[in-house]
Amino acid sequence: MRAAFSIRPVAMAITLALALGPLPTAYAAGNDEAALRAEVAELRAQLIELKHEVQQMHAAPAAAAAAAATATTASTAPASAATLPANADAASLPGAAPMQSSILNTAASATTLYGYGEMNYTRPTKDKSATQADLARAVFGFIHAFDENTRIVSEFEWEHAVASASDQGEAEVEQLYIEHQLQPNYGLRAGLMLIPLGLLNEHHEPTNYYGVYRNFVETAIIPSTWREGGVSIYGNTEFGLNWSAGVTTGPDLSKWDPTSPEGRESPLGSIHQELQLAKARDPSVFAAANWQGIPGLTVGGGIFTGKIGQGQPGFLANHARLLLGEGHVRWQTGPFDLSALYTRGTISDTENLNLTFIGNPTPAPKAFWGGYVQGAWRAWEHDGAAIAPFVRYEEYNTAASYEAIPLGLGVDPLVTSKLWTAGVNYWLNPNVVFKADYQQFRSESDRNRFDLGIGFQF
Amino acid sequence: MQLRWLIPLGAAAALPAYHAAYAVQYMSVEQAQRAAFAQADGFVDVPLTLTETQRRALDQAEAALSISAPKIWQARTGQKNLGWLIVDQVIGKAEAISYALALDNDGKIIALDVLEYRETHGAEIRLPAWRKQFVGKTAQDSLRLDSDIRNISGATLSCRHLTDGVRRLVQLYAQVLKPTSG
Repeated sequence: MRAAFSIRPVAMAITLALALGPLPTAYAAGNDEAALRAEVAELRAQLIELKHEVQQMHAAPAAAAAAAATATTASTAPASAATLPANADAASLPGAAPMQSSILNTAASATTLYGYGEMNYTRPTKDKSATQADLARAVFGFIHAFDENTRIVSEFEWEHAVASASDQGEAEVEQLYIEHQLQPNYGLRAGLMLIPLGLLNEHHEPTNYYGVYRNFVETAIIPSTWREGGVSIYGNTEFGLNWSAGVTTGPDLSKWDPTSPEGRESPLGSIHQELQLAKARDPSVFAAANWQGIPGLTVGGGIFTGKIGQGQPGFLANHARLLLGEGHVRWQTGPFDLSALYTRGTISDTENLNLTFIGNPTPAPKAFWGGYVQGAWRAWEHDGAAIAPFVRYEEYNTAASYEAIPLGLGVDPLVTSKLWTAGVNYWLNPNVVFKADYQQFRSESDRNRFDLGIGFQF
Repeated sequence: MQLRWLIPLGAAAALPAYHAAYAVQYMSVEQAQRAAFAQADGFVDVPLTLTETQRRALDQAEAALSISAPKIWQARTGQKNLGWLIVDQVIGKAEAISYALALDNDGKIIALDVLEYRETHGAEIRLPAWRKQFVGKTAQDSLRLDSDIRNISGATLSCRHLTDGVRRLVQLYAQVLKPTSG
């Protein structure tokens, strides 16, 4: 270190001499204004470099405490300068020196804070007494970089404003994982992470979707915000394929409640574990991929499977296996944003379990599915603000079939829900959105509703 | 005695240097220079100091410079100018994206390269097919996401901000570099 310091003033003097050297020549050229201008530009460049160098020297004593990092930078810089094109302006090229975290010397912080939130107002058209206003989600998270390749990603969430023994709100850790980049095109994750199925689960911030509420298919069938604890590998290729695969915890069928309507609202949502003292005897696996090789187009799909009985003593569905598959396409061209998604799930070996549920309204389903098509049109846009009307048609069934129950004691499969949603998103800027929509159910008109919402992210 | 207090202070000041930010470096400036101007034998640093008039012109073109001053090089072979390489940064969602824009002598985009990326999501902007959309465009083009530049689903903010950054740089060329390089 000490040697480096003593060399710097010498180097500086030499650079200064070199910089001043051409000055009289240029002056002698007299009227050649262009040449003079060029010289001045070059001198200015050299001065800026000198200034940087002086700043670095000032910063150096402080950095000496942390030593190692600075030492590497100082020793590698001249080596790279030597590899530069021969007649390049050497003084101007430290910018091309090996970059640490920032090319342009902007201070890069190791910790980033981010968040999002949404508030909703819902007025059922057939039952105005059920009108409700809710602070649905308040979320913050931080990302902290331990070094250039390793970081922790976190997300903490309050749902419904107040979480206490006498309130219905929830406080939860939604994501908490370590990410380690092995190569620029692949890396590893470990911890509580989002399952990359569908268009919404990984991009669930309110500014990213149309409508006040997340669509039913990616709430009831793919239980967003769906996360599991485990390890995964992810990567991307030059031709536009992003992929990931992992081994994680899965749902817990042993907590299925046949008396509650929850399992009919979202079968997986009612038995998810969210890494809260999760039963983890049976691991699940997932694999998902998106191809985005043509700008504007996304084609992708994924699969999640695992045994979900979790080997509980005396439990009658320890061999039950969940298999959930999903495929989607999104096409964004000019002002149009079109997407479609289909997903289907099955749970095997639930017959014995459902026999014990006879007489209850909600046995465990054998199959459940959903799909939607959606079109949005960015009708107006100015300086980040935009107005986009949209329309979406959805069909979904959370219990399309059950394992056969003898003697007609079983429950009939549910009728498929079919609904239209029409509305508008108004982005005040890309990070703040106001929404309004109307949702009309084709055969369950008591569920029709009018919604207003505010959402933001940063 | 009081000098002892300087030790923890110095250590605290050194912490930011120690905690390097997470960054995936895909390309160095030198690699970007070589990739865009293979035949160049030198890159001359062009310091950027804007006059008030130039600043106003950029504002008017909705191209006020972003979070940091861009670094500009002119690619040369002998005395001949081949074009420009501009390195700049934009914020993706929360973190800086470093990118290099190569322009030919008429200000037409030759290449757009992502040098460093730091976000958890959105690295798809590195896709060659996406970046290729910019090639051939100039300050005359609108260079706006969802208009002449298509989005990548899941990387919207990175796409939008990088597109905005490129639009600023081609305006910088049109308003500042072109007039002064005469």
